[in-house]
Amino acid sequence: MPSVTQSRSPSRLAIFFVNLLDPAAYGAFVAGFVFDIIYFVTQEIFWVKGASWLNFFGLLLAIIPRLINLYQVWISRSVSRPLAARRSFWLNALAIVVAIFNAFVHSRDAWGVMPAGLILSSVTVAFLVLAVVNHALSTPRYQEEKL
Amino acid sequence: MINRQFSVLLFCTLLAGCDNSDSTTVAEQIGPHPKLDKPSAFLLPPISVPSKVDWAPGQTPRPAAGLKIESIAQGLAHPRMVYQLPNNDILVAESNAPSSEAVTTPKQLISGLVKKDSGKGGKGGNRITLLRKDAQGHWQKYSFIQNLNSPFGMVLIGQSLYIADADALLVFPYQPGDLKIDSARGKRLADLPSTINHHWTKSLTASPEGKHLYVGVGSNSNITENGLEAEYRRAAILEVDPQSGASRIYADGLRNPTGVAFDPATKKLWTIVNERDEIGANLVPDYLTQVKEGAFYGWPYSYYGQHVDRRVQPPAPDKVARAVAPDYALSSHVAPLGMQFAQGSRLPGFASEGLFISEHGSWNRKPLNGYRVSYVQFSQGKPVGQPKTVVDGFVSDDQQRIFGAPVGLTLDNQGALIIADDVGNHVWRVSAAP
Repeated sequence: MPSVTQSRSPSRLAIFFVNLLDPAAYGAFVAGFVFDIIYFVTQEIFWVKGASWLNFFGLLLAIIPRLINLYQVWISRSVSRPLAARRSFWLNALAIVVAIFNAFVHSRDAWGVMPAGLILSSVTVAFLVLAVVNHALSTPRYQEEKL
Repeated sequence: MINRQFSVLLFCTLLAGCDNSDSTTVAEQIGPHPKLDKPSAFLLPPISVPSKVDWAPGQTPRPAAGLKIESIAQGLAHPRMVYQLPNNDILVAESNAPSSEAVTTPKQLISGLVKKDSGKGGKGGNRITLLRKDAQGHWQKYSFIQNLNSPFGMVLIGQSLYIADADALLVFPYQPGDLKIDSARGKRLADLPSTINHHWTKSLTASPEGKHLYVGVGSNSNITENGLEAEYRRAAILEVDPQSGASRIYADGLRNPTGVAFDPATKKLWTIVNERDEIGANLVPDYLTQVKEGAFYGWPYSYYGQHVDRRVQPPAPDKVARAVAPDYALSSHVAPLGMQFAQGSRLPGFASEGLFISEHGSWNRKPLNGYRVSYVQFSQGKPVGQPKTVVDGFVSDDQQRIFGAPVGLTLDNQGALIIADDVGNHVWRVSAAP
């Protein structure tokens, strides 16, 4: 996912923050999606409250890496803007926009969250997964071998 | 991107705004057959409260024509309920929510901050203050009972003063003329539901002969978002034996019965109920109803009879089928918190068979609704017609500022109406203008 690798000379601090926070946000959104599924099946209120916190913290954790990404892809003059980087940017941006809507939907009470909350959680995760796929497809294979 | 996010925000605001586009008027939602909109889900949580501003010196709420209003106590700590003793002393319960409700959702974090701004989150005194008129006609304050736990309901039977704390029904020995009761003399008569305490107020009254006590216990959620198991013996009126403390559910499905009182004319029990939120600016109307023994009034599964609330899972069609519709709607989100039957009133125009209701005011709709004391006329033991405003002016005319909000009501022995104002921290007295 970290599309900042496209930069010719990315700040080490930027790489650090993106690698630190981006996976955490991704994990929170995926966990929120799983919690929503469990609530949908069990109707046990605990799960949907958990899901709203996970979505909430996912958004908080995503702020810094997304701002860095915004800068690297669109503002920084030292960066070339390959298609993959731009695609990655938009997939992540859409995921965040949907997650913001989802935070509002998850502020409803009890079953009022459903089914919209589950649909939005799945769309958020789908965009993030597409961003991962995009990254995998655009990463030169010799790098993978080095890993 | 910034423009895009701005557009999204604007879009959200517009969507939320749609909730408030009034197709139904407030007047249509008052009376025995309120017009009910279709429920709608919101995108942005509907929060709309004016900002708290203190009453300016000399500023008061606005009484109806032919009435005057005066402040008889100031500087109280969130005065909620008032009760008149036989010797015309007036008790004021100063309290607010006990801090027993954990923050379990991001929404609670935000709404807590908004509530603070409106003055409705002010710290409660956890005490009862006594007001007595001295020989010069000035009202004096006396610290009556200390160390209570969010007291609300009060009722005297003979020489026993019953106080409904947020977690228990207490009984204190009372002698006419007492200015102070040592809190250690209180006896814990009965436990009341106290976990979470989302709706914490415990309203209280006694049957006309003093045979039973009735306690209004609010639900533990707006609409079961704390789980159905948290609603045990809640959203109910409990009947309590004043001697033993034994209790049973007298009626339930009443989301938040913030006031209970017997009509002196018919000796029937009535309650005011705060209905559910967040399915529209015009849903669900709060109401006034006579309480039938054993009846189920719908919460959480349905409202106004068989209008099902889909937010409650799993559903209970058998309960919905036997849900009773209440007698008289007060319109949506007015938040009735105090009631006083008018028998004994000497307020011109408000002195016959009827009921005073304090409407604490909405926090989730625009335009605001409530923020007044109203009077509902009764005829042959039933409420009729549209309510009349007795006192308003608790918010500024542009609805941006809130000075006060009415809660507890009682009548003194001159037939004047006493109003507790928990936002402005005053007790007001309304009487006939000279």
